[in-house]
Amino acid sequence: MSDGILLFIEQRDGALNRTSLEALVAAQRIAAETSVGVTAVVLGKGISAVASEVAGKKLDAVYAVEDDKLQEYTPDGYVAAMAKVVEQLAPRLVIFSHTYQVRDFAPRLTTAMGKTFVPDCVGFRVEGGEVVFTRQVFQGKINTDVRVAGAPPIFASFQAGAYRADLAEASGSPAEIKAIEIDLSGVTIRTQPEAKFQEAKQAVDLTQAPLIVAVGRGIKEQANIALIQELAGAMGAEIAASRPICDNEWLPMDRQIGSSGQTVTPKLYVAIGISGAIQHVVGMKNSQTIVAINKDPEAPIFDIADYGIVGDLFEIVPALTSEIKKTKAE
Amino acid sequence: MTTERETLETDVLLVGAGPANLACALHLTKLVKAHDDRARSSGAKSLGEINIAVIEKAAEIGAHQLSGAVLDPISLRELIPDFENEGAPFEAPVGDEHVYFLRARGKLPLPVLPPPLRNHGNYVVSINKLVRWMAEKCEAAGVNIFPEFPGAEVLYDGDSVIGVRTGDKGIDKTGKPKSNHEPGVDVTANVTVLGEGVRGSLTKQLVKRLKLDRESDPQVYSVGVKELWEMPDDRFAAGSVIHTMGWPLDSHTFGGSWVYGMRDRIIDIGLAVGLDYHDPRVDPHHEFQLFKTHPLIADLLRGGKMIRYGAKAMPVGGWYTIPRLSADGVMIIGDSAGLLNGERLKGIHTAIKAGMLAAETILEALAASDYSRNTLGAFEKRLKESYVGRELYRARNFHQAFDRGRLAGLVTEGISVMTGGRLPRRLPIVAGHAHMKKLSDGERSTRYDQLKYDETLTFNKLTDVYYSGTQHDEDQPCHLHVLDTNICVDRCVKEYGNPCQNFCPASVYEMLEDAGVLRLQINASNCVHCKTCDIMDPYQIIDWVPPEGGGGPNYRNM
Repeated sequence: MSDGILLFIEQRDGALNRTSLEALVAAQRIAAETSVGVTAVVLGKGISAVASEVAGKKLDAVYAVEDDKLQEYTPDGYVAAMAKVVEQLAPRLVIFSHTYQVRDFAPRLTTAMGKTFVPDCVGFRVEGGEVVFTRQVFQGKINTDVRVAGAPPIFASFQAGAYRADLAEASGSPAEIKAIEIDLSGVTIRTQPEAKFQEAKQAVDLTQAPLIVAVGRGIKEQANIALIQELAGAMGAEIAASRPICDNEWLPMDRQIGSSGQTVTPKLYVAIGISGAIQHVVGMKNSQTIVAINKDPEAPIFDIADYGIVGDLFEIVPALTSEIKKTKAE
Repeated sequence: MTTERETLETDVLLVGAGPANLACALHLTKLVKAHDDRARSSGAKSLGEINIAVIEKAAEIGAHQLSGAVLDPISLRELIPDFENEGAPFEAPVGDEHVYFLRARGKLPLPVLPPPLRNHGNYVVSINKLVRWMAEKCEAAGVNIFPEFPGAEVLYDGDSVIGVRTGDKGIDKTGKPKSNHEPGVDVTANVTVLGEGVRGSLTKQLVKRLKLDRESDPQVYSVGVKELWEMPDDRFAAGSVIHTMGWPLDSHTFGGSWVYGMRDRIIDIGLAVGLDYHDPRVDPHHEFQLFKTHPLIADLLRGGKMIRYGAKAMPVGGWYTIPRLSADGVMIIGDSAGLLNGERLKGIHTAIKAGMLAAETILEALAASDYSRNTLGAFEKRLKESYVGRELYRARNFHQAFDRGRLAGLVTEGISVMTGGRLPRRLPIVAGHAHMKKLSDGERSTRYDQLKYDETLTFNKLTDVYYSGTQHDEDQPCHLHVLDTNICVDRCVKEYGNPCQNFCPASVYEMLEDAGVLRLQINASNCVHCKTCDIMDPYQIIDWVPPEGGGGPNYRNM
């Protein structure tokens, strides 16, 4: 695969991290524009299911690296294994999704290999056969182009939501799953993973939600949140909020969207009683379809909404909920 | 429950990485080296390695630095004589200079440039760039700089200062430790230097405890609100300087504007508003937005793009408001000490000089192993006898002259400048918040009726706050301590109309009605660390303490 693209697939306890499929889309598109192939690699122990799932996508091959030392994620284990995989396969480009795990080990890996890492990219383009990465700076206000001058392989990670996982190209016949011999016997794992930390409350990852109903200060009182919950329930959507709602603890803090919360790009984002201050908008402006409900026709949320309803949310939301329920029942 | 804390021992601890402390640290490394070179040749005892540490609350050095600024290079020339070749990041030497008195529609150029505003030989600078460069020099000289470490409290042995405890990290809203909890560190030092900037939170504690302000007048402040604009062409050359007085500020509101040309077609524009105005509805952010709609300014900015926003208070009381600046184990310098010259609108050069004079005093203390006020007190004498002391003394009645309004101020100030500050008497001054007038019933303000936010020339406060780049972890205790929120709903709403909503340039304070009950909402994560609330609250019940280290604005290139 020399000169091709190597894609890192992240898994935990045998379950695929969905953002790896977004990185897959990035890898497939770069491959198409530079006329090379994509190979995926999965590290772990007991990962055949993940490897098979990924093999359904359009890929040259999937390498599964099974080793006791990779049973649990550790930076030492992953850095050593990935370094050996990259040395053996000699790709031109190594692609990751920008997850917490990747943030942890990719800088060590690339520093150890003396290579360049372009983290948290949101896009790319190809100029004269060379891949130019796009990264956001100043809280997403400015895009910068990054060209890497050093020798390949180049390492890059893509931000969650930069590409849509559902656009990954599938393949008629599954890609071959190959084992790869990696000797980790000389590797010392210096960290001892403890039992996995679980937040007392189930933390939600809104970045993965296809439908989001978000509520803002227009809801007036905590008791009224139930209206929104009912709508979200009818739609099968996740509920989210602007800062004041979470600040009042009407909804937990992990439901906050915006510059001090999560950044999301769902298929549909319904903003209810949210004025659209820039701090909120930066967290949801890249949603595919935005619907805004607000009584103030001058509210800036309407500047970015695809559909806007000017009116009283206390009339509109219950009507919407009952219509959706009716449609779904049919 | 006792918390296990780490202790870090240093010789000299400087709180706040601004121009004063960085000048102090850099100068001290040079003085120690020169001392030891002399000691080696004469066989005297050398000091050996002196451990100098600077702690800073910002995530990055310079991120909380905001100033105009025009720099008088006098003290930087002493600190780094060859600063041009050492890469000093100046914007440009001051070129064209104008001062206007604005009226709502027109402008009157002042026939003569007032002497304190003459800037020939000075430089337009970004204090953020200047401080980042100074920090590089310090680190190269062996100074340890620790960003993301705010000073939470002063550590004492009796009344002697022995260091500073830094703020805890990883505490949630309710005060419970989170998974990333790290207790603050006790940084001990023979000498602690507080150069925390304006209205320093440790300085406030120290001055109160040791009554260092017994003989000084109360400090008075202004707040500066500014934006950076990126222009499509070079219509306003780097180094160009405009100052204005008058509109939109009323005659009981002290202040004025600046417009400075920076490199790369950036315009630095701002308005300083005296925090001793009378009308509780004065909103410095709104005044600044109004100011930009004046034809002179609107024409200048047309076609440009606002790229940064920020605000910061500054001490303008001058000579008579400077508290005692040394005690056992501690010194106060820079804006924390109130060394800004309000008449010249400049404080960076005095901060740098004060840092150098503090370093000279610290060297004596290190050589004598005596860190008491007996030795450290020499700093105040040095300061008084230096050009900093002389220029502050000359301007000693400047802000005081305006205490009774603009007209009286201009006349008195004119006499003062002509006579080198020799007015018949020391003019009295009171703390700025005491000037705020109570509202009479049913009074409606038309002050900002004509102000519309087009989000091109004028921006609403929340949008501007976004451009300050301010960020705080939401899940931490509120760092704005309102000691009695009943006052907000029982008294303040009637007496002053909750002016916190107006004077805060970052929409931190809001009065909200929940189910018919009025309450104070504090949006602490919007805070840009300007300190205006701590200063201007009419009941003096807001206490600003540093949030978790790393939180706050990002004033890159400001």
